[in-house]
Amino acid sequence: MQFFMRKPLLALALCLSTAISHAQTKIIKEVSDDIETQTRPIIQDNSLVGYLVFTRLEQASQDSFNYKITLMDENLNDIGTINFRDIGLELGSVAFDQDVLCLAYLQSTVKGKIFKKIKEAKHSEDKNDVVTQFLTLEGKIIKVNAIPAEVESSLQLAGNRWVHRGYQYTENLKHAIQLKNVSGKGFVLFYGDANGCNLAAFDFKGIQLWRKKIEDKQDFALLASKSDIYLLEKEQEKYIEGGGSLVGFDFDKGSAYPKIQMEDRDGRSLTLMSFGNDPVTGNPYLCGKVINSRFGNHIVSAKNFTTGPYDGVYTMSINGHSKKDIKQTFVYWKDGSQQPAINTKGYVADAASFMVLSDAFRDYNGNTYFVGTELIRRLKIGTLVASLITIPTFVLPPMILGIGGTNKCKATNAIVMKLSPKGVLTYDNTINCANTRFVKANTDYRDIDQRDYYDLSNPESKNTYVVADDLKNIMIYNVAEKKVVRTIAHKAGNIRTYVAPAKEGHFMVIEYNKKEKYTSLSIEPLN
Amino acid sequence: MQTAFERTFLVVFFILLFSNNTKAQNSIYSYYDLSEFSFANQKDSLKKAWDCPQLYKDKETQKKYKELWNSRTEFITASIDANNYIYDDAIYHYLSKIVIDLEKANSQLLKQKPLLLVDRSPSVNAYALGENVIVVNLGLITFAKTREDLALAIAHELSHNILNHAENSMENTAVWLTSDEFKNSMNSVLDSKYERLTRLKKVLETFTFDRSRHSRYHESDADSLAVILLKNSHISFDPEFFLRLDSTDEEYREPLKNPVKSYFTAYNIPLEETLFQKRAKGLSSHTYNFHDNETLADSLKTHPDCVKRYEKTKDEISIFGTTTPIPADIKEKANKMLIWNIYDNQNLTECLYRILLEKDNGNVDPWYDFMMYNVLEGLYYSSIQLNRFNAVGIKPKEYISKDYYELQNFLEQIPLDKLQEFCKAASSQAFWNNVPADARGMKSLFDSLNSGSANNGKVQVAAAKEYLTTFPYSMYCEFAEHFKK
Repeated sequence: MQFFMRKPLLALALCLSTAISHAQTKIIKEVSDDIETQTRPIIQDNSLVGYLVFTRLEQASQDSFNYKITLMDENLNDIGTINFRDIGLELGSVAFDQDVLCLAYLQSTVKGKIFKKIKEAKHSEDKNDVVTQFLTLEGKIIKVNAIPAEVESSLQLAGNRWVHRGYQYTENLKHAIQLKNVSGKGFVLFYGDANGCNLAAFDFKGIQLWRKKIEDKQDFALLASKSDIYLLEKEQEKYIEGGGSLVGFDFDKGSAYPKIQMEDRDGRSLTLMSFGNDPVTGNPYLCGKVINSRFGNHIVSAKNFTTGPYDGVYTMSINGHSKKDIKQTFVYWKDGSQQPAINTKGYVADAASFMVLSDAFRDYNGNTYFVGTELIRRLKIGTLVASLITIPTFVLPPMILGIGGTNKCKATNAIVMKLSPKGVLTYDNTINCANTRFVKANTDYRDIDQRDYYDLSNPESKNTYVVADDLKNIMIYNVAEKKVVRTIAHKAGNIRTYVAPAKEGHFMVIEYNKKEKYTSLSIEPLN
Repeated sequence: MQTAFERTFLVVFFILLFSNNTKAQNSIYSYYDLSEFSFANQKDSLKKAWDCPQLYKDKETQKKYKELWNSRTEFITASIDANNYIYDDAIYHYLSKIVIDLEKANSQLLKQKPLLLVDRSPSVNAYALGENVIVVNLGLITFAKTREDLALAIAHELSHNILNHAENSMENTAVWLTSDEFKNSMNSVLDSKYERLTRLKKVLETFTFDRSRHSRYHESDADSLAVILLKNSHISFDPEFFLRLDSTDEEYREPLKNPVKSYFTAYNIPLEETLFQKRAKGLSSHTYNFHDNETLADSLKTHPDCVKRYEKTKDEISIFGTTTPIPADIKEKANKMLIWNIYDNQNLTECLYRILLEKDNGNVDPWYDFMMYNVLEGLYYSSIQLNRFNAVGIKPKEYISKDYYELQNFLEQIPLDKLQEFCKAASSQAFWNNVPADARGMKSLFDSLNSGSANNGKVQVAAAKEYLTTFPYSMYCEFAEHFKK
């Protein structure tokens, strides 16, 4: 009984929720159990410009479902919804350009359906397509395209452990959908199915410009740069980390440029730590490590990182389509040219540790930074002394050495190495992080270092930041100022905090209150 | 000759007089004017007095009715505990006088003096809870221009109570929710294989439509009766107030008189123009125009449109002498209370925009400078707590003026070190000489909150406790309370 109704929508929601809470909750629960939601960031030119929530509301008929797309801007404010009906859809990726949203789905005649009997499921028609849907910011669906796809599908039990509701299909493409905008030109789609891989280009009206079959490989990464598309391919055999090649295509014609093999002049394979657009030129660049042909390619334990598995680092700028347009910089420590700063096994004197590099990026001044964990190796004096003392027993020393090993390792801080545009590699700084305890050197490295690294940038201030996320804290480090600008504890009381990329110059803080069971979001500036 | 007793008495008297004056000057209101304290007794009485009547033989319907009845009691008691209401002598007596005038002239209809509450919400609204309780929001007091505007709103709410709308609504809801028709239609949702959500929505919309239809009749009835109550009380009724209500959503669309940057020149800190412009790429800067198929159908609205309310009542216009503007001190006080509440709820852009609008009106009260300092320090605190985004509360450009947009860009984008400079500059401004001790005490509280000390948690608690001990009656204790635990 208000004097003035300012927020009718809110009132309706409250009214409905009151009714719901007082009505048969079982019915509400069963209806809401059928609702499925997928959330995706909307990306334009590698920047997050908004969020999209794709919801399957209900089964509308034997073959179709009702869907709702909710669009949010970069500040999580709702800007509109679109409702439509279609057969089973699973959202793959979203891209945006020229006020047009392009969504790519895996569409299936069996997706979302629950079959009571396995026989019924097996006899049902299983037809799949990769679908591109083009939407305007007026909420209109302007075009839908479908390309037939052969997927890997398997039948699984629907429901939960206690209540089986029947059987349903799980379907996967061999290579997940990748979608990018090509600035001012259109969109490019990549996916792989049982029949091979496909690369397709679309204009802003949703018209397919061309489609190409691509030979199947172990893995692919798609990048758009100006009016070109680049596909990084990882060969299936030989190398665990290396064995890649880069192939470019003209967006308008679909014609391919000469392939670039990811190896140095001596044929040593290169790992990939970063594949992106140079923040100044927008041209593609790659950077990573040069794999040592003897000690590389089979790194498992912490000790493996101390035996010289890499010979150096490299960076590659793709400034054009001919060979002369590709600027490559290789810096080797294996040949002893970096001594005494870096020894032949990759030991950095200033950091007094080996480097386990896992992220690399370009800044706005043409520098390439390599970031990773500092690894310390020590002799196990106690074990060695014990084995010496017990030599007379003949039996014990091999047992002691066998069980304990002669070396121990621990992951300490984060290391930042800088490769200048002139090709000079230097130790830049150490970011203080939580150290692990010493463990046997032959322990699986993944069990020791569980720290994640990624980079963020602020195009306005032209600052680049490293996020070092370990089990205890999240450190945000300003590369140019060489200082940690934020240290965020993962756990404070009942609250667990996580950090994720957000709109340009910002990061998202996700806080989960374990006790009160709610999640709060905040988008904070990097500076 | 004065005796020793007389001298002592006079000294004590003047000390008391002085201390009372100090208390009055210190705060706009006392901390203990908040509903948690000032309505503690009423809350207990309400709980006891609001006993659900036995209306239905059917147990299920009676149970549902009791649930609805209790939820209303819980709403009001929870609101009292959450300090949603405030008791302020001046504002209460001003509103109460209107209620008394209406009550006296309509004694046949209003047999008892209603319980009047003042809600601290900035929403331009008033509401009736039934059982002779009406609530007026501070937002309505600052929005209304005349005593007659307020009287119309109060008369409208009294009419709801006279016509038993709240009780009737609960009764209808209880009957509907326990009816076979409702149960059958709910069960039919599960019986259907397809479009379950659509069917469920339809069932609930039918229920809502029914309620809304009644509600809209109720609103029209309340408007009609309000006009009669006003006439009987010889209070002028101007239907144009309904038209003015249509502009209540425009509060943050009102432009500022000066460029946003100029309001910060006093701090002598250079500010780049780009800080006021949106810098990050995003959909918010694009033009979008969704044909929202989820907006509320007209039939589901609980209130008739303002224009329709005007049309329906325009012939009832009645003028009894001239209209009486709401006294400036009441408006000023309500506005300050509102701004403080918006601040305490951590809506910093809204708070600062209202401050700037006051400055545009030529208001040179140092309290607004003090609140500007609080906003800057509050923003700094929110930033180090990784909560600037929520403190700024970014609104889409469609709902705000260009100046509001620039202000929220500034608050969102100002770098932390520059913000710190602003806080420092604001803490040494001349206005501090003209604000009371409890306001000055906020400076040392913020010094502790924003100290960045490794042991910040304990420092915060100690500073908050010290503030609460030093200024136990200050309205700002509400803010210190947030950090006490």
